[in-house]
Amino acid sequence: MSSDIENRALLPSGLNDLLPPRAAQEAGTVSALTDAFAAFGYEQVKPPLVEFETTLIGAAENGGGSLAGQMFRLMDPASQRMMAVRADITLQVARIAETRLRDTARPLRLSYAGEVLRVRGSQLRPERLFAQAGVELIGAADVSADIEVVVLAAEALAAAGIAAPTIDLNSPALVAHLLADVGVEDAVVAQLRVALDHKDAASVRDITRTHGVAFGAAARVLDELVSASGTAEDVLPKLHALELPDSASAELARLEAVVTGVRAARAELSLTLDPVEYRGFEYHTGVSFTVFAAGVRGELGRGGRYITTAGEAATGFSLYLDSIMRALPEPSVAQKMYVPFGAPAAIAGQLRADDWITVAGLAPEEDARAEALRLSCSHCWHNGEILSLSDRGGNAPAEK
Amino acid sequence: MSQDDKLILALPKGRILAEVMPILHRAGIAPEASFDDPNSRALRFTTSDPRLDIIRVRSFDVATFVAFGAADFGVAGNDVVMEFDYPELYAPLDLEAGKCRLVVAAPEALVAVEDPAQWSHVRVATKYPNLTQRYFAQRGVQAECIKLNGAIELAPMLGLCRRIVDLVSTGATLKSNGLVEIETITDVSSRLVVNRAALKTRATALGAWIGRFRSAVEGGRDAA
Repeated sequence: MSSDIENRALLPSGLNDLLPPRAAQEAGTVSALTDAFAAFGYEQVKPPLVEFETTLIGAAENGGGSLAGQMFRLMDPASQRMMAVRADITLQVARIAETRLRDTARPLRLSYAGEVLRVRGSQLRPERLFAQAGVELIGAADVSADIEVVVLAAEALAAAGIAAPTIDLNSPALVAHLLADVGVEDAVVAQLRVALDHKDAASVRDITRTHGVAFGAAARVLDELVSASGTAEDVLPKLHALELPDSASAELARLEAVVTGVRAARAELSLTLDPVEYRGFEYHTGVSFTVFAAGVRGELGRGGRYITTAGEAATGFSLYLDSIMRALPEPSVAQKMYVPFGAPAAIAGQLRADDWITVAGLAPEEDARAEALRLSCSHCWHNGEILSLSDRGGNAPAEK
Repeated sequence: MSQDDKLILALPKGRILAEVMPILHRAGIAPEASFDDPNSRALRFTTSDPRLDIIRVRSFDVATFVAFGAADFGVAGNDVVMEFDYPELYAPLDLEAGKCRLVVAAPEALVAVEDPAQWSHVRVATKYPNLTQRYFAQRGVQAECIKLNGAIELAPMLGLCRRIVDLVSTGATLKSNGLVEIETITDVSSRLVVNRAALKTRATALGAWIGRFRSAVEGGRDAA
């Protein structure tokens, strides 16, 4: 560095200070989400920020390892074992369900909210430290469980102020079933997955043409699938028209049952279908989903069905607070009441009991109104009267 | 983000634009008059469709505008798509325009004496450092890329490096600079690219546009 003097405002990339009023808005959003989870019978758990690396990585078959490269590690001087800072909370909740709560009645409904730390941010979501809030529904294989978590995601977002999210339903297992009978090398499958994830119809066609014999009838189905995305009502008939192997048809039927179930609960919800989306769903075994909102560039959250290390059928989702905050409007500035120095002691308490936010004067001032304005208060208490200081003012607490 | 309910289409400046315009016309998009005016300094244009605006940016920037959702969809070569490898970019349609190849090239004299199988490290001048690095890494070769923005063919001649990775359509520029193609990395053509979140949240409108572009490409094929 050319300069020895470090600017104390500089933080490591991807880490931010949340200031007023955004910090309070995030806290409010988290509690709106967890309240919605609680209303559906999900009970909160709070795993630690740091635990042994081995338990955080988990087993490969349920998503373990996929975030191993994203974890900060530190040596525990006490146990001399390697610890890691969590990069995701889902696996911790699954661990709790498999160990301490293994004898609790199933289906087990758990929720969580907390911060995670990652080694790298993505281009669209540069944050390396962000809060997640989500649920896990463990020990339920029924389609009604799939429906419950999608509906809960929509209701929780509505409670947090995101009125019109789009939920994109995915079926990562569908393509896996389709490819099960196709005898091509893993490298070709990997290539195909990349092309499918980018909806790159030209590359998909190139790949299926190059390995034409192996793909056979699946080539035409893939060709159709890659362009079959859109609103649920548009896509379902297209999917029905495809000749799918039995296992893939079962996935499709399940997807359709989820669409019907979610529609019944929330008819107005914007529901899209994308049967080929696979990114980040490598370990999901059934209906999965991604949450979007108009005007927000990244995902707001994602979820889906998986199998825990203990072999239990589970589903759930996680919402990302950084993305949700981007989707929320600037919070309205709180209406605050300035109570000048020397006001009767009982007054401030009385005002707070009436739902006012009070800001107390700590020393005598000449002009209480000027002092109130300087401290960004909207109102001022003056000799038993409430003075509104802004044109927008009005009867503040009612607006909350 | 796009204001109102307008969709924004990002188009690349230059050579590709001329090849893509007929497709746009067949898809029923007629930009305002100043779009064709070379003296206009405007960057954003209205079209005959009140719900569609066009922006005109550098070809590399189309991918970035669309990936970040500043434009909802756009036209970009798969060379650009591969270079950035944005996860949020869908490329649902090959427009079959702006065709060329992305190749590795080197001076004739060098090609005569060396065997590419023996490479362990190469220094390459290119507009595509990421793509080049990935391509060579796959073959077990470490590529040291020198990022240039144009006149790549000059680099070997002046001793900046011995190899280049660049677009070739006829091969005339390579030839006149004493270079020959060693390998083709990929065939290139223009793609319709779509922002992932936009395709989900505005599925009906964007789905309809993709359909219109698809018919326009097929229509062009029949006419040819």
